Amino acid sequence: MKKYIKILFCCLIATMVYTGCKKDYPVDEDGLLITTRQECYVSNFELLGTDFVTVRTKTAEIDTVAQTIKVEVQFGTDLKNLYPQFSLASDAKLDPKITGKVDFSDTTHPKIYTVVSGDRKIRKPYTVYISVQH
Amino acid sequence: MRLKYLETNYIPLLITLFLLAAGCKKEEYALPTPKDVLQNDCIKRTLGPNIVGQNIEFAYAMAILPEKGKLVSAQVEASIAGASGTFLENRSFYTENNGVDSGIVVGDASVTQSTTTIVTFNKDTSAATLRYYYTIPEEARGKSVSFTFSAKSSDGETVSYKMGPYTIAKMDMVRNLSVKDGAACYISIADMAVYDATTAAANAGKIDLVYLYRSIPDISFNHALVSPAADAQYLPGVTLPAGINNSTLMRKVFNLQDYNLAQLQYGIYIDDLDFQKLDLSGAPNYAINLKAEAGAWVQTADGKYKAYIFINSVNNSQKSAVISIKRYTL
Repeated sequence: MKKYIKILFCCLIATMVYTGCKKDYPVDEDGLLITTRQECYVSNFELLGTDFVTVRTKTAEIDTVAQTIKVEVQFGTDLKNLYPQFSLASDAKLDPKITGKVDFSDTTHPKIYTVVSGDRKIRKPYTVYISVQH
Repeated sequence: MRLKYLETNYIPLLITLFLLAAGCKKEEYALPTPKDVLQNDCIKRTLGPNIVGQNIEFAYAMAILPEKGKLVSAQVEASIAGASGTFLENRSFYTENNGVDSGIVVGDASVTQSTTTIVTFNKDTSAATLRYYYTIPEEARGKSVSFTFSAKSSDGETVSYKMGPYTIAKMDMVRNLSVKDGAACYISIADMAVYDATTAAANAGKIDLVYLYRSIPDISFNHALVSPAADAQYLPGVTLPAGINNSTLMRKVFNLQDYNLAQLQYGIYIDDLDFQKLDLSGAPNYAINLKAEAGAWVQTADGKYKAYIFINSVNNSQKSAVISIKRYTL
C-alpha cells in the first residue's frame, strides 16, 4: 500500500513540475495568439454585395508600399451595403474589425483599415478607394 | 483465504462469460399479432408554409382484420371549411416497385358538406390509405386549422385521428408572371400583377417596379427591377406613364430559391416570419443585373407590403423574364 502511495505522489510532483515549467503563449485582447511574425500587408481584397456575390469588375489593385487598395465596382452597385473581405499576412489582424455591412458611399472620405502584424508591433493603415464603373 | 482468492479472481470472469452468452443468444422472430380492432394513422405530406389557395395534403390510413369486418366510410372534418377543390381521394394508393404511386378505386367520389368531407367505400376493403387535399380558404388566413380524420367499419367500430393545429400563413403568392421590356413591364405589388403602359397609367399609384432589360457595352445591366422614382441612370430609355413615381426599397438576393416560387428541388421556404424580420432600411430603390434564380426583397413605398420577387427564368433575346412573388401585408 505504501508503495502505491509513493508512486502516486511522484506522479503528482512530476505533473506539477511539468505544468509549472510550461511556457505561456501570449494572447492579445481578442484572444488571438501574438507571434513573432512581423509581416504586415493585405494580400487580397474582395467586395461582396447584399446577395453575397462579388461586385468587383476586376481584381483589386493592392499597393503594399503606398498602402492603398483600389477597386472598381459594377455599375449600379449599392455602395451603402457592402461586405468587404481582407486576406492578410499570416497571424496579422485588421483594425477596425469587419462585423457586417459597411457603408462605402462617402467616396470623398475613403475608409481606412489598419493591418496589425503578428507580433502586434507594426501597424499599417490601408486606404480603400472605390470607383463605380461607368 | 483460498475461497476469497477464488471469489476475487473467478467470479468476475464467470459474470463476463454469462453476459457474453446471453448477449449472443439468438431470439426467434415471431410474426407480430395484429390488433383486432379498427386502427388508423395519418401523416401530413406537404411541407413548408400553408398558403391560402394552396393545398395541404394528408395520407390517412385505416385497417381492420378481414374476419372482423370491412371499411364502411372515411371522413375528415376541418375546423374551417376548405375552399373549392378540397377532396378526399376515393382511391387507395400503394407504391409500385418503380416508385410510382398507383391508386385503386375503393369508394364513391368524396362528398363535402360544410367542414366535412366523406368517402363511402363501395368495395370490400380491409385496409386503405386515402389522400386528403385541403385547399386553404381565404377565411383561414392567419388562423389555425385542425383536422379530425375518422373511419367506420361494418362491425360498428369508429376510430379517429386528430391532426394539427396548423397555422395558415398571412402571405399571398402568385407564380409565373411574364414580364417584357417595353410592354408588360409595370409591376404592382398591391395587385400582385403586371401591367402594360396603358393599364399602368390607370393604376399609377399601385405601380411599384419597372422591369427592363438593357444590353449596354462594358456594363452589367441586363435584367433589372427598378423603382419608378429611381435615378434616371437606372431607367435608361424608359418613359414612365404619368403619375408613376413610387420609390420601392429593394435588396438583391442570390441562392434563395424558395420552393413554392421556384418549383425546383430546393427545400427552402420563405415564411411570414422572414417578412416580419426583414429590415430594408437603407436599401436602394433598384436592383440591376438580375439573373435567373436570383431575387429581390421588396418593401413598397407606402410601407403596406413586403415581398420577395423571384426570377424564374430570363430570356435575353426576347428581353423578358418570368417572375413569381410572395407578398406579406404589414
